Amino acid sequence: MKGLAKSLMTTLSVFARKPVTRDYPNYHKPIPERDRAFPLLLWDFEIDEPFCTGCHACERACPVECMTVLMKDNPNHRSQGGDSSRRKIIDKFWIDYARCMRCNICVEVCNFDAIAMNNTWQGHELSVHDRSDLVMDLPQLLAQSKTGNLKEWVAD
Amino acid sequence: MTSELFGADLNPWVDAIVRLLMWVGFMTVVAMGLIYLERKVLARFMARIGPQKTGPMGLLQSVADALKLIGKEDLRPRNADPWTFELGPYLVFIPIFMSFLAIPLVFDWHIRLFELGLLYFVAISSINLVGWVMAGWGSDNRYAMLGALRAVAQGISYELPLVLSLVAVAIFNQTLNLEEMILFQGQTPNILWQPLAFMIFFVAALAEMNRPPFDIPVGESEVVGGPFVEYSGIRWSMFFLGEYTALFIMALLASVVFLGGWAWPLGEELGRWWQVILMTVKTSAFIFLVFWVRASMPRLRIDQLMAFSWKVLLPLTFAQVLVNGLVLAYEWDYWVSRVALGVAGLAGIVLLYAIIDRSVRRPRPRPAPVAQSEAVTA
Amino acid sequence: MVVRPEIEREFETQDLLLNVGPQHPSTHGVFRMVMEIDGELVKDVVPYIGYLHRGAEKLCETMDYRQGIGFMDRTEYLAAFNAELSYVMAVEELAGLEVPDRAQWLRMILCEMNRIASHLMFMGAFGIDVGVFGTPFIYAWREREAIFDLFEEVSGDRMMYAYFRPGGLAWEVPVNFTERVREVLKAVNQGIKDFDGLLTENEVFIARTRGVGAISAADAIDFGMSGPSLRASGVPLDIRRTEPYLKYAEVDFDVVVGQNGDVYDRYLCRLQELRESVRIVEQCLEKLPDGPIMPEKMPRMLRTPPGEVYIRTEAPRGEYGIYLVSEGGNRPYRLKVRSACLSNLQALKHMSVGQYVADAIIVLGSIDIVLSEVDR
Repeated sequence: MKGLAKSLMTTLSVFARKPVTRDYPNYHKPIPERDRAFPLLLWDFEIDEPFCTGCHACERACPVECMTVLMKDNPNHRSQGGDSSRRKIIDKFWIDYARCMRCNICVEVCNFDAIAMNNTWQGHELSVHDRSDLVMDLPQLLAQSKTGNLKEWVAD
Repeated sequence: MTSELFGADLNPWVDAIVRLLMWVGFMTVVAMGLIYLERKVLARFMARIGPQKTGPMGLLQSVADALKLIGKEDLRPRNADPWTFELGPYLVFIPIFMSFLAIPLVFDWHIRLFELGLLYFVAISSINLVGWVMAGWGSDNRYAMLGALRAVAQGISYELPLVLSLVAVAIFNQTLNLEEMILFQGQTPNILWQPLAFMIFFVAALAEMNRPPFDIPVGESEVVGGPFVEYSGIRWSMFFLGEYTALFIMALLASVVFLGGWAWPLGEELGRWWQVILMTVKTSAFIFLVFWVRASMPRLRIDQLMAFSWKVLLPLTFAQVLVNGLVLAYEWDYWVSRVALGVAGLAGIVLLYAIIDRSVRRPRPRPAPVAQSEAVTA
Repeated sequence: MVVRPEIEREFETQDLLLNVGPQHPSTHGVFRMVMEIDGELVKDVVPYIGYLHRGAEKLCETMDYRQGIGFMDRTEYLAAFNAELSYVMAVEELAGLEVPDRAQWLRMILCEMNRIASHLMFMGAFGIDVGVFGTPFIYAWREREAIFDLFEEVSGDRMMYAYFRPGGLAWEVPVNFTERVREVLKAVNQGIKDFDGLLTENEVFIARTRGVGAISAADAIDFGMSGPSLRASGVPLDIRRTEPYLKYAEVDFDVVVGQNGDVYDRYLCRLQELRESVRIVEQCLEKLPDGPIMPEKMPRMLRTPPGEVYIRTEAPRGEYGIYLVSEGGNRPYRLKVRSACLSNLQALKHMSVGQYVADAIIVLGSIDIVLSEVDR
């Protein structure tokens, strides 16, 4: 019965300790900068257009083929009288978040630093009623970046 | 013949029905409160918080659960036997409520005070096993059947130590009337003089209520809920209500029989509200103990459970009954007989300790780490 | 006593077939076994697997080496770092890459931390199997959460890290890494103490686990078991010791072995291995050098010469091996995962026949399977 007493004492000592519960929906644990939720596109505030040129690098590197990219000529290019140095720019971009396995490869292969992993809580809390709502189009992918609350990645 | 209830003279039948209805309503609330308390207390044993979203501190969690259960569809599997399946829950639920009839809560608060109250209690409290079998057999599910058979084997085996430990106390107190028992314990509660009986009562009560470490019939990881694996909605909630009502009744019985009920240590003359507080404290302590054991004990296996009952608890209770009879037969002095009984009880506990220790050998030394050279290469 | 045949016919008894899983609280995922039981005694167990088969091996053959890492995570999600390690080591061996020292030490720290997380998971799930109502589970998850928070800070994800790369690590660890690891280890030590107090000496627990599901060393080897399940039978086979990889030759740790190979010994072995892992991590932290985490010259797209390689490492559940065949180019020609869980699971029938139903459940729990690794 000594062991039983020891068990009871262990649970009693935990009873006296503080609970470790995090009150999740009311309390959001601060998440590190390198936290990976889902990929999104970044907005170039200087020229007011996306960084992405639609080069298909990420689309080709994606292991689960969750991306679809279409590019177009940039109407804002210098040759057209605009102030952008990008000859081509993204036209349409879809990422199926339901397929994405968050491996970070798209970020690593991007030559223009145009794609990043969402490291905010909004990037995690994505429950929807319909799977097709998880296919994000270009405005949705850019929305988070436009608000400017993405944290800077510190990883080198 | 009339009965008096709250100052009004009533026909005894009307009186009984009114008291019964009050009890049933009260018990439902108590059971819901117990469910809430169990969740809170268990949560703290596990370093969690427990329910907190429904109402202030989650107080309305049980209400929400009850509403959900009532609103749920009452499903019956196609192959289930309609009669046994649907009547099973009633047979679990009603005897437990009936066993309440005899228990005095505080002075003069009871439904009926039987001269043979204890006998009535032990007679009625094991009927619910029939309900378990009906539920298990009727659901046409192999887990349910296994669970029901386990429940019956366990219920019958632990009925004996439970009853005999109560008999030991009844012999000592020389009455079966629960109120007289309380009055008998006016100065010292029975637990002091009958520690072994209390211990056996506690263990057997855990088994009777199917609480860990004896939750074998409902073992979540083996038979997935046992007899009520197929139940849903209101019928399932009846099992649940029965379980927690049984817990409350066992706690009441323990505080009446062993802890001195509403009399000890404040005496019988104090006001009724003091008695209520006293009973609440004693009952809560017992219930807390049950929760505590639940949080820290693994489940026994069915053969170990049976062996423990028949080979350990039953002989010990017989010994306790014999000792009580002997001590009383010699009609010793008040204190001498009590001290003799207490010493005998403690000796019994030491014996129990030795038996458990022997049957479960001490752990061997931890696996010895192997030195670098001894390790198998390739 | 003469029994008349008609009476015997009348009372003919039959064994009961009990289907356990794939949806059952204690099959640890989608495992199914059909038990033939006589009363409460198990007479036969027929396991069925494959409910979680995703063809991860085949998928990896269509991807380049970096893309395959994510799939390796998912073959063993409770110890993803260990699974990644085997894979990247196989690729490195084939491509002839030299991994910098710092990367190797960091890999060791992360793998051992992951072993702790995985063994904690075992403790919790096993506690539920033997019937403690959730208490050990929450205790286990308390410390596991701390470890996962750390992993999230390092790799960016809590379970599917995709952090190891052929050649080294994807990126440098955070600046306060060593302090954070020490913090977590302190919490883990407390958790180990709680487990020890809660279960190890509990008489009910001992009664349930001692002598149950015993398997002899010879049988365990014949079944191809590995990891703590094998060591509990007294075979001191630990790949970290017998074929040291990473820097395991430079740290001091003990191979924990049991004596009778029953469920209790398997529990004790894992409990002790938790302590050993803590010891290893502490030594790693002291020896952790500075330096690069990737080789200087890394091609943009990793290509391997033709060849084949088999690399095995000691994952929390046993030998996690990767057999990799390359015909040149940037993707494997064939990838085969040697899963410890699958081999350990073979012994289930041997260990549980003749026991009680409740024992069969804890025997299954004690070999600590991860169904995604069994089915892949």
